[in-house]
Amino acid sequence: MMSSLRRIVIMAEMHGRDLTRRHAAIALLVALPLSFYFASMGSGATAVLAGGVGMSFSVSGATLFSILSSSEVDQRLVLGGYSPLELLLGRLLFLGPFGLMIAVSFSVLMALISHPARPLVLGLGVAVVALQSVPFGLAVGAALPRELEGTLVLIGVIGLQLSANPKSFIARILPFHSPRQIIASSLDAQGAIAAPLLQTAIYGLALLVVARVFVARRVDVRRHQSIS
Amino acid sequence: MVDLLVVSQVAKRFGRTTILEDVDLAVAAGEVVALTGENGAGKSTLMQICAGLIRAESGDVRVGGRIGYCPQSPGLFELLTADDHLVMFGCGAGISRADSLSRGHEVLAEFGFPMDDRAVTRDLSGGTRQKLNLALALLTDPSILLLDEPYQGFDRGTYVNFWDHCERWRNEGKAVVVVTHMLAELERVDRVIELPAHPSRSRHGSGR
Repeated sequence: MMSSLRRIVIMAEMHGRDLTRRHAAIALLVALPLSFYFASMGSGATAVLAGGVGMSFSVSGATLFSILSSSEVDQRLVLGGYSPLELLLGRLLFLGPFGLMIAVSFSVLMALISHPARPLVLGLGVAVVALQSVPFGLAVGAALPRELEGTLVLIGVIGLQLSANPKSFIARILPFHSPRQIIASSLDAQGAIAAPLLQTAIYGLALLVVARVFVARRVDVRRHQSIS
Repeated sequence: MVDLLVVSQVAKRFGRTTILEDVDLAVAAGEVVALTGENGAGKSTLMQICAGLIRAESGDVRVGGRIGYCPQSPGLFELLTADDHLVMFGCGAGISRADSLSRGHEVLAEFGFPMDDRAVTRDLSGGTRQKLNLALALLTDPSILLLDEPYQGFDRGTYVNFWDHCERWRNEGKAVVVVTHMLAELERVDRVIELPAHPSRSRHGSGR
């Protein structure tokens, strides 16, 4: 148990080192939701929704890249003693708090500029977007292990989430529908929070299971029978 | 000497192309085997099957200890340093951070890795990256070494040094399989196994 925990922490540390050395990528990660937000400033509440949900581009993009950029190494790490689950949890351990950090700063900025009715709920909604983005990026990266396909799915899903009517069926089945509801409820002080939170948690867990299944298939190492 | 790697009747196909058919191979402790063959003969595929990275359609692989696998192209994290890699790979095998660094530095120094260089692997030359790749395979002191053209990009001195190391690993009782096209060095190994090119491959891969 302790050694497994140590492996997860080391993986988180190494992904942290890798990502924090990508200065241009980090600048873009921060700039992307900001640009969504500021570009929609004239449209009232839409700006907060676009910025909040648009943050998923940043975090899930970083997650997708982290899983795809290490595809050659992952199987060798499993051969060396890691389990596929430890590789996933290591990424989750770094990218979750990393996404939350961006979410908190971004929420503070939006709260100061847009004055939502419930600023704390706005922070919660954006944080939930950030957290949901990690399993989403992991699932896409694990299921589609090529950069182009993965990126296109990411753009497609989040683009649809931003543009589709929130009451439509397609919007409801997408992964950021419930976080979007929380952000929306921060603007007009209406709407439930607990139900969307629970739905997001269930959706996030399902995405993690998908990621786990595909990663295990991709990096599986056959343990040979021992010569007795 | 006792066998540390035994491959029995291994077959592998990719689509309709048969890459390996009924390959047998046994490598004993203290033996260095060179695996040769034309491009596409299945040398790397056989190494990957032995390492457990891909599954054979049929046949069986049995091992007598920990495997150290050095792939042909060094799959490394581009923005991590050599030390980062040593710590990460060492941790997988339950080796502490300090021990991983100490053992890793020892191996890297033997192959002339620029130890004062704290560069990330993206900024290293191909040969230097390959030295790190080899060091990662050796980090846990495995008893079976599967080395797939591990000297790619090595300068002349390091290349000669590599074959000297093969002799040392033999003396330490390791079972070593080296995929190589360097026929000049085949006199330094105990056995040469040539995999025939498909589709004519049948029972030629037999080791003994």
